[in-house]
Amino acid sequence: MISAYILITMQPGKTDKAIKEMRKIENVAKISIIAGEYDIVVRAQVKNLEELLGVTDKLQMIDGVTKTTTQIIEKEIALS
Amino acid sequence: MIIRKKYLFYTLAFTSAFIAAAVTALDSFVGAQAAFIHDPWAFAFGLFFVGAIITLLIAIVLSVPIKGKSIGAKVLDPSFKRVRLVKKSEVKYNLVAGLMNAINTVGYCAIVSTVQDPAVILSFSQIVILYLLLMESITEKDVPTLVEVQSSIIVAFGAILASISLTGEFDLTSILIVFVVVNPTWAIFSIYQRKLKLMKINNRPNDSVNIRFWNVIFTCIFTAFILFFKDLLTSSNHLVSAFTTSVDPHYFMLLAAIMATTFFAYVLYIRALGLGKTSINNAIRASTIIFAIPFTIILLQLGYIDVLSTDPVMLLIKVIGMILIILGIISFALTVVKAYIFITVKPGYPIKETMKKLWGIRGVTHVAATSGKYDFIVKVSTRTLMKGYEKIIKKIDEIDEIQNHKWESVLKDWENI
Repeated sequence: MISAYILITMQPGKTDKAIKEMRKIENVAKISIIAGEYDIVVRAQVKNLEELLGVTDKLQMIDGVTKTTTQIIEKEIALS
Repeated sequence: MIIRKKYLFYTLAFTSAFIAAAVTALDSFVGAQAAFIHDPWAFAFGLFFVGAIITLLIAIVLSVPIKGKSIGAKVLDPSFKRVRLVKKSEVKYNLVAGLMNAINTVGYCAIVSTVQDPAVILSFSQIVILYLLLMESITEKDVPTLVEVQSSIIVAFGAILASISLTGEFDLTSILIVFVVVNPTWAIFSIYQRKLKLMKINNRPNDSVNIRFWNVIFTCIFTAFILFFKDLLTSSNHLVSAFTTSVDPHYFMLLAAIMATTFFAYVLYIRALGLGKTSINNAIRASTIIFAIPFTIILLQLGYIDVLSTDPVMLLIKVIGMILIILGIISFALTVVKAYIFITVKPGYPIKETMKKLWGIRGVTHVAATSGKYDFIVKVSTRTLMKGYEKIIKKIDEIDEIQNHKWESVLKDWENI
């Protein structure tokens, strides 16, 4: 299983609608609206890089998404 | 389905508290039956003996697959597949949780059997929230903040006020049992149930149905042992009488009704434990006292309990207690600050070492080493932004190999649970 964070920059005023679309995408495990350089962080869980490409493709098709930066997780530690 | 984790956590905890209120009403009704009123020990063993049978039956029904998914996965816990044998890695946690649950039940029975009005004493069991805060500061990486301590104290004292009765005697031995036996055992029991819920079994999150089932089995065995030794030391006959009462069809059905209802309360409680801290879970669970009101009225209407106190001072104390519980829970819900920190590191330093240093910072809940623009993505959780700066950012600044970091506060999040 491959996990990745996709950092998204949005056009102003289109976040709510975009979030609704993102929630429908398969393999999206978590969505956070953040304040700072990026507007949204999506965590994707996929079986292979091909599927990850599918997720980023679907994200980029959403109206209002201007840029995505993908960070593939190599190792992680979490509380739960 | 992607939903807000916070909503799911509070929904599970409140639903569990509501069902627990129904269990309390059933407990009062069944505990007042002829066979149990003079022998609360028989009641304790009967609950777990019949509970083991009824929990197994429910777990088997929940294991039935429909369209590829078990009923349990559809209605109770998505992680549940089917009832299974306990795994080797789970045994030590189940032993501790089972033993603590058994001692807790025996302590409870000891109070019920010696005190005229147990509500005077048992209301102090709400202090368990403070025990949990203390234990979490040792066992969890995240030390409780001032807001958590304040909210917990508000809820704990509110729960005492809302559940206390002034009609009974203030018995010192029983109070000691609450503080030395009932509260610590419940705190350890809850912490170990959470540990079990956070485990991965066959690469899936552990499920609350199997956790509950095995806890009942282990608790039944330990309760039997405790009663056996009590019988041996006091030349009494509690274990045999408990067994014979439990197999009587009338009492069996009553105990089965309690344990079937308890099953659902616990499964939801264990699921909530997997999503949030044990102390916050127990604080929300204190709302059982408020949810118990309609059930108390039903019992009153049916004539199973005496007339309720209408003393205005007593009613005022209880209302104040309930307001404190609600205020404390709201305070917990509204004071969490979460953030992502995007970090780049200088070349020439081992990633594993930096990862360890980041993980060592209190408030850090997640560290991911990533490939791309950033070397690490760290997730933090804190009660205030000031604490975020004082306890997290300052510590990150102290790590030599860190070149740059960006704090991005989470405004709202959804999770696939």
